[in-house]
Amino acid sequence: MDSFHPHDKNHFYRAAGTAILHYVYLEKYHQAALLSFTAPFPLSSHPHYSHYHHHCMKTIIEPFRIKSVEPIYFNTAEARQLILEKAFYNPFLIHSEDVLIDLLTDSGTSAMSSNQWAGIMQGDESYAGSPSFFRFEKAVKDITGLPLVIPTHQGRASEKILFSIMGGKGKYFVSNTLFDTTRANIEFSGAEGVDMICEEGRYPTVPAPFKGNMDTVALQKFIDEKGAEHIPLCILTVTNNSGGGQPVSMQNIREVHAICKAHAIPLFIDACRFAENAWFIKLREPGYADTPVPEIVRELFSYADGCTMSAKKDAFANIGGFLAMHNEQLAQQCRNLLVITEGFPTYGGLAGRDLEAIAIGLHEVMDEHYLQYRIRSIEYLTNKLIAAGVPVMQPAGGHAVYLDAKGFLPHIPVDQYPGQALVGALYVHGGIRGVEIGSLMFGKYDEQHQLVPAALELVRLAIPRRVYTQSHIDYVSEVIIEVFNKRNEIEGLTILEESPILRHFTVKLSPIKK
Amino acid sequence: MKHIRESWAEPYKIKMVELLKMTTAAQRKKAMQEAGYNTFLLKSEDVYIDLLTDSGTSAMSDRQWAGMMMGDEAYAGSRNFYHLEEVVKDVYGYKYLIPTHQGRGAENILSKILIKKGDIIPGNMYFTTTRLHQELAGGKFEDIIIDEAHDPENEFAFKGNVDLNKLEKLIKKHGAKKIPYVSIATSVNMAGGQPISMQNLKAIRALTKKHGIRIIHDMTRVAENAFFIQQKEKGQGHKTVKQLVKEICSYTDGATMSAKKDALVNIGGFLAVNEWDVFEEARNMVVVYEGLHTYGGLAGRDMEAMAIGIGESVSDDHIRARVGQVIYLGEKMIEYDVPIVKPIGGHGIFVDAKKFLPHIPQTQYPAQTLAAEIYLDSGVRTMERGVVSAGRKANGENYFPKLELVRFTIPRRVYTQAHMDVIAESAARVFERRKKILGMKMVYEPKYLRFFQARFAKL
Repeated sequence: MDSFHPHDKNHFYRAAGTAILHYVYLEKYHQAALLSFTAPFPLSSHPHYSHYHHHCMKTIIEPFRIKSVEPIYFNTAEARQLILEKAFYNPFLIHSEDVLIDLLTDSGTSAMSSNQWAGIMQGDESYAGSPSFFRFEKAVKDITGLPLVIPTHQGRASEKILFSIMGGKGKYFVSNTLFDTTRANIEFSGAEGVDMICEEGRYPTVPAPFKGNMDTVALQKFIDEKGAEHIPLCILTVTNNSGGGQPVSMQNIREVHAICKAHAIPLFIDACRFAENAWFIKLREPGYADTPVPEIVRELFSYADGCTMSAKKDAFANIGGFLAMHNEQLAQQCRNLLVITEGFPTYGGLAGRDLEAIAIGLHEVMDEHYLQYRIRSIEYLTNKLIAAGVPVMQPAGGHAVYLDAKGFLPHIPVDQYPGQALVGALYVHGGIRGVEIGSLMFGKYDEQHQLVPAALELVRLAIPRRVYTQSHIDYVSEVIIEVFNKRNEIEGLTILEESPILRHFTVKLSPIKK
Repeated sequence: MKHIRESWAEPYKIKMVELLKMTTAAQRKKAMQEAGYNTFLLKSEDVYIDLLTDSGTSAMSDRQWAGMMMGDEAYAGSRNFYHLEEVVKDVYGYKYLIPTHQGRGAENILSKILIKKGDIIPGNMYFTTTRLHQELAGGKFEDIIIDEAHDPENEFAFKGNVDLNKLEKLIKKHGAKKIPYVSIATSVNMAGGQPISMQNLKAIRALTKKHGIRIIHDMTRVAENAFFIQQKEKGQGHKTVKQLVKEICSYTDGATMSAKKDALVNIGGFLAVNEWDVFEEARNMVVVYEGLHTYGGLAGRDMEAMAIGIGESVSDDHIRARVGQVIYLGEKMIEYDVPIVKPIGGHGIFVDAKKFLPHIPQTQYPAQTLAAEIYLDSGVRTMERGVVSAGRKANGENYFPKLELVRFTIPRRVYTQAHMDVIAESAARVFERRKKILGMKMVYEPKYLRFFQARFAKL
């Protein structure tokens, strides 16, 4: 591979003469890009957007090289068919050793840097007052500007604590879109979660720059209807995971902040993918092309009263999370609950070494070379699929490719879970593990026990950070396209056994034979 | 009975070190004031020898570190989970495993599943987080430990034993239906790391079996307990610690484990049960609080370190050196006339603060005061285990426990014999000037587990 461009070397770390693997976005990429962006698409025509694109090379390489590798496991399609049957068509029940390319989640699956591993070795495991905590606290404060920082073992624990203080029967948590565990934690407290995604966010294949935006008109209307006193919290998920990893614009955050402020409703950011969102703002929002990412991040958090964070995403950590906020009284309430289920406030259920890894990761993720590589590699796979006619969510999101299962498998009705059926087919055909984000994850039953389907039937192929190479991604697109070409053979599924909350983790299914 | 003291030298050598900071008396005074005279609130950088807890503070072995590099961070079905599951089955014998990020995560889930409002949970002495989870689930804890456990001078070898009469009376009074399980800790922490005997455990099993009541095992220090059985209980000396550990578990129906103690890891725990129904419910619940049931809120590498640590924790050589070091420190303290809980327990030395500072009433927190004084003297950080830790009853009254102790907890494989000498000498120095020490008042009291974050002022 001789696609390294020497005149661009200042942009990348130690690329020449090393064993670094190159992402080669050859002409193929550009053809795909042209194909996908010929639709009336506001991005490519945006002056800052094209300005930005002029400055990068055709070939985007990783701003890192590989320091440690992990073997992956090969298997035959026949063997995988048996494994899938044994796992009751649920990817969560498949052993990871039976998976070739694991795109189940980008959560906790990142490759840490050598700096982070050095931090791991430096972890101070003191139960109370560890310097690892103080370094972690400083990193969160510096990056978000939020002064009160509470570590937790992962994101859902932050949510659990926050919602058990703020939640309760008769209350509404409003959001652009709540993620599965977030919604479950809200409902667990007796409160209700209400999603208000903007109009363009509802159409998976129509491109728009900020499909994660919250519908501010709906928000204002909802507040007028229900009364601000029944709305303890507004949550903006950045980027919007369930809606395709789509970003929220700074403008929208500002507007949501203004509405919330006028009604004294606190605004929290679900910040798992804050840096990816900041990169989209830089790329797509007028006025931000020359703003450094850390400044965008700082502004983003300046509109919030607090945040919940799963450090397993944009902080490149394999475990960990936190809560951060301004309100001292709320923080004290959170700490009181923290000691019951998580741990003492200076470790929050994490080893000291993990606090170090998070502190380092939070800074690493804001590197613009990294973010450029990250977002472009998602785009690369998305565009390959678009070129082959596979129905995918557009434009490409920040952390995953979302296949539109309804468009992919029009012959399977929603109550036969087309998304889950597609997940099974991708696994058997190519050993790729994805996850359904559709009626299995979010569907509910009405009083007659009829399925109330989710708005979208998606399959998420989440790309772990810094883990897979371009050849892995090329393989993935080949598998998807091959499955697409024989999509008519895929059968729907029926549920054999399910649990009342978060059923997708443990559900058992079987195919409906034609 | 074997000689415990004989050649306890460590069955390992040092592979990596962590540098310590030495402090001056003036620095310590300032740090202690800033921490509100609560050792929990000290920065660990200001601490010379940290005996706050043996929880999560162990030095891992090179094999465990190698395991850390073998972490499989897949969200579902990580191979480290299957390894851990196999080890738990092999070493402890429990059928179904749910990993949790630490012990209290397992307690939270178990309490929510098994306890109904108005239930009674008998146990061999309370532990802070365990009792809190039982109470939050609507249950009431009843202490059924033998009376000897409350007497720091009594040298009975198995002060962790249950008084079977107390248990029987409770069953008669409330009926077996009101008792979802009996909570049995091995190496009873609040009694001073005191073991329960195999014979007593068998008798509890027989009684609970008759009434159809479960035994849930708080097994965080089961290997240390097994060592005491091997050394002190008649007819048990020929068994290995590994055999004894498995036998102990076999008399119980399930367990909560904080792997941060015996299992030599810095983070992690689990819930293990033999009943499928309880397992299934726990598996659904763990997703809400901890994480998917094949990682339970732990990184894959931490499950791997735990699996390896469990194997190391039941080695006879390891445990002999571990408890040997604790006994070495205890005997030194006795030489210096420092009043400690006897017999010496498995994971730390518990200094009797009532006897150390007889002029300070329990309302002025003698153990909290003593912990602060030890730190001021030498930078050694210890922990109060007395009236502050005991907290308040549901009606708001303070619990006044019989034992008012300062715990010198020894992290596993971390400190050397020379460190032990420094600790004993510091305790002796404070003991010499004990009459000049004044008590304290509490100036901030949090709602739950107040000992963690309470603040004090000198009287």
